Amino acid sequence: MGKVTYDAIVVGGGIAGCEAALNIANNDFNVLLIEKDLSVGGKMILLSKVFPTLDCSACITTPKISEMARHPNITIFTGSELQKVSKYGDNLFEVSIVKNPRYVNIEDCTGCQLCEQACPVTVPDQYQLDMVGRKAAYIPFSIANPRVAAIDIDNCTLCGACEKVCPTKCIDFTQEKEEWIIHVKTVILATGFNLFNPEMIPRYGFGLYKNVVTSMQMERQLAPTRPFHTVLRPGDGKVPDRIAYILCTGSRDASVGNTMCSQICCMYSIKQAQLLMGALPMADVTIYYIDIRAFGKGFNEFYEQALGMGVNFVKGKIGKISEKKNGDLVLRYEDVCSGKLQEAEHDMVVLSVGVVANQDAQKYFTDLTLKKDRHHFVQQVDPLLNPSKTSIEGVFVAGSVSGPMDIPDSILSAGAASVEAINHIIQFS
Amino acid sequence: MKKKIGVYICHCGGNISDYVDVEKVYAEVRNEKGVALAKITMFACADANQKEMEADIPEKDLDGVVVASCSPQLHLTTFRAVVERAGLNKYDYVHANIREQGSWAHSDNKSGATENAIHVVKAAIAKVRNAESLEPIKISSVKAVAVIGAGVSGMRSAIALAKAGCKVYIIERDHFVGGRVAQWENLFSTNETGEEIIKRLYNDTINNDNITLYTGAQVLSQSGNIGSYRLKVQINPGFVRNSVYSYEMDEAISVCPIKIPDLFNFGFTQRKAIYRNHSGQLPIMAVIDDENCTRCGDCEKVCKDIDFSQQKKEINIEVGSVLVASGFDTYTPKNNEFGYCVIDNVITLPQLKRLVAMSDRHLEYKGNRIKNIAYIYCVGSRQLDGENKYCSRYCCTAAIHTATEIRRKYKEINNYHFTRGVRTYGKQEIYYSEALKMGDVFMQSFDNELPEVLQKGNKTFVKIKDILTEQKELKLQADLVVLVTSMVPRDGISVNDLFKLPKGRDGFLKEIHLKLRPVETVIDGITIAGCCQGPMNLTESVNSALSAATKSYSYVSKGELELEPIIAKVDKEACTWCDACFKACPFDAIIKVEEGFKVFARVSDSICKGCGMCLPVCPKDAIELNSYTNREIEEMIDMLASD
Repeated sequence: MGKVTYDAIVVGGGIAGCEAALNIANNDFNVLLIEKDLSVGGKMILLSKVFPTLDCSACITTPKISEMARHPNITIFTGSELQKVSKYGDNLFEVSIVKNPRYVNIEDCTGCQLCEQACPVTVPDQYQLDMVGRKAAYIPFSIANPRVAAIDIDNCTLCGACEKVCPTKCIDFTQEKEEWIIHVKTVILATGFNLFNPEMIPRYGFGLYKNVVTSMQMERQLAPTRPFHTVLRPGDGKVPDRIAYILCTGSRDASVGNTMCSQICCMYSIKQAQLLMGALPMADVTIYYIDIRAFGKGFNEFYEQALGMGVNFVKGKIGKISEKKNGDLVLRYEDVCSGKLQEAEHDMVVLSVGVVANQDAQKYFTDLTLKKDRHHFVQQVDPLLNPSKTSIEGVFVAGSVSGPMDIPDSILSAGAASVEAINHIIQFS
Repeated sequence: MKKKIGVYICHCGGNISDYVDVEKVYAEVRNEKGVALAKITMFACADANQKEMEADIPEKDLDGVVVASCSPQLHLTTFRAVVERAGLNKYDYVHANIREQGSWAHSDNKSGATENAIHVVKAAIAKVRNAESLEPIKISSVKAVAVIGAGVSGMRSAIALAKAGCKVYIIERDHFVGGRVAQWENLFSTNETGEEIIKRLYNDTINNDNITLYTGAQVLSQSGNIGSYRLKVQINPGFVRNSVYSYEMDEAISVCPIKIPDLFNFGFTQRKAIYRNHSGQLPIMAVIDDENCTRCGDCEKVCKDIDFSQQKKEINIEVGSVLVASGFDTYTPKNNEFGYCVIDNVITLPQLKRLVAMSDRHLEYKGNRIKNIAYIYCVGSRQLDGENKYCSRYCCTAAIHTATEIRRKYKEINNYHFTRGVRTYGKQEIYYSEALKMGDVFMQSFDNELPEVLQKGNKTFVKIKDILTEQKELKLQADLVVLVTSMVPRDGISVNDLFKLPKGRDGFLKEIHLKLRPVETVIDGITIAGCCQGPMNLTESVNSALSAATKSYSYVSKGELELEPIIAKVDKEACTWCDACFKACPFDAIIKVEEGFKVFARVSDSICKGCGMCLPVCPKDAIELNSYTNREIEEMIDMLASD
């Protein structure tokens, strides 16, 4: 069962959790990081380039997670879920964790992908946002960490083809759920955020019109580990040349219950527009917006750069989208500058979906009360002076679990949570 | 001389391979002298490839490694760690940058980019052939941190460091702590006042035995390096003995004949040369402002606590790291920018906040009761012609929050916002919706057609071509025009110059990398926190301050640090001490040594930064730079210049 006491547990292996784990471990404290997904890296590792510097996202994430994976003071559980956190004595927390079976021995798998080739089952690839398929025996994605296979047991037919080809005999269908009880001095919640589900806005036709995609789907199409070699619209595989972005999809919109601004969508859309102009030099990109919120360091300059490159910005909200026979889309909108109702045709529409709270964290605490704010994020009880403090002493937040944040803000928030956690560990040691 | 070199050429997922023909580079370099193994990889930095390299090194018995990928700034340390794990010395690794200096720079010329990459990789191979193993320099690190500035960022990071067991010295230029936040009343997100915030921080600061707070202090000089910075700090006296509130002190202040504009209130009020802290600032005491005091002695006559015999003190402190939290200035509009200084009732947002703080039952300005307030946004930010291209981030929310607070306090006020698109990002959106519900009027101008402030008779008007009403020309008579001014970098911060801290294009202090190392500077051991780095609101400043505390703590927590051994070394036999290197060294790392009749130069290991300035000036060619020896550089040049 291994070690059952750690100084800190970090819940969530995205960029915030990773940063916090490294900060704490670098000061000689032991950290357990648990991640429910098969790979650490969170949402950031799946991104293409990041604003406002257009750094390649993988180039920033992979070395961090690789440093974390190797750190002598950090233990990582992937494919693991937190069940419950309760008080243990005066100064400790008792954490129960379920480690889901991967049906592959992580230590023995070399990531050779022979099992992938042998597997006869094809299902939509969740890491490519269902745009292409993957096998039931699969490596999550090429820069995953750990980069080893997993068996998707829900879709596996137990045909045994993978077992036969595996050169290290690391596939093991007898694996079962493991339950772990762990004692820690402090808990850092870094469970991140969810993206808004655009099916909640039927007038945009997501799920109905094939060429209406989400911004995360477009992000994957622009990433180095992209599903196709170029940008394609899903309806017919045509390379699009009139692309529209609809900002504030699910943000600043009382009709879907979210009046908050998501803080990242303006900038990632502007970034994608710039990348699209590089990838498809002949394409027109139009961004329909309410306000452009280019507020961070270097952001406004980045917005000006997009204007200079010829990205078309239209102030106006889309009332309705309708689909033509050829799959093109007609957008009806109010052009605020002229005050007139207008229509425009595009061959692909990207919905810039917003940030909504990931409410997993609340579920872990049944004896203790983890307060949430009016937007269902974990509440920061002293946001001005102790931004990572929650309603439970010794439990801290890092990154977008407490509200929408871009990457630099998430990293700074994780840095803040780190020193608070270190202070807490020292105080109760 | 290395004979078994491994070369890895990275696609960088298209960042390189879209422009550089990676296969061709591979074909050209695989047979270079000494190359035992060459490979192409999609992401050299990915964990799987790192593992592969780790396996290759013992398997092929490699003695040197080159990775051709991105800038060494990103991944030099990543790959050094890989070769170290595989049992090599980390200086047996050489990084070839074919992305920033190759594919990205020459994206318009694919064959040229490929040629460039071939030469760069060959040069790196030449360098690693001649590379020597080096051991890092180990130095001890003082478990103490100097924090520059006692605003919210400074005090908050000091408290975090002190709780973790570090000695902390806070050095504040002013006689009082509190910085900018001391000047504000209600703050957005919790409605605590600036005064309450400062009081909480100040109490935690002075009650912590690990923190020493120096007010009226400034850093005069610095020497040393990470692990051991020695700062000379000057502490200016306040010339007042007893800090308690007394009638005599009131007298002393009232008899002082000197009146100067009080900058705490942005010049709205005047203060004397002897003055007290404002509410919000701490400690509670009076001080004499040395610069403006004429020593007339009037105060001394009425108050026994005045003490002109107090002297400037100089103290020396030694710390392992310095955390700079020197804050921001508010932008001062140019003469006649939106009528500032020319039209009577044009003020800035910070001035408005002070005006509200000092007003009682009615909001009055220069004797006139205010009813209509016009707010003009983005003054000093997002300038088309000026230098400040950036958005100041906090001002939209600050203006809206201030406006709604004013309406709560004074029911008769109407607010009119002349915006360039409201940027109340994230949860701050609720302040915008609240303002709309309360009836505040928002207009928006085109970026290249800003509002105008006009004076007709004794009336002031603001004119706008409003996007939100089909570009109608609107004109409002305003009793008060408030310019929503930006944050600008603070001037005259001695540590910025003493440490030669780099600044970005926006003039704020520059971090190494916005995402990888957001609070570190290129000067080892110096971290930055809060608004000295760029505009932030209070929560964001504190996040940044605590992150900086985390980093500074990691420099000092273990008591020991490893430094790069890439430093200059002097061949004692060849040196004749002409002092040319001594004069050329920007870090004072050259020491004159006399041994009998022999006089020569020596390089101090912990001070030398390996900049190489001493090398070309040496007439005897007696200095070499570790890892950049003449032989390495000459062979690299041969390779770069080859066909």
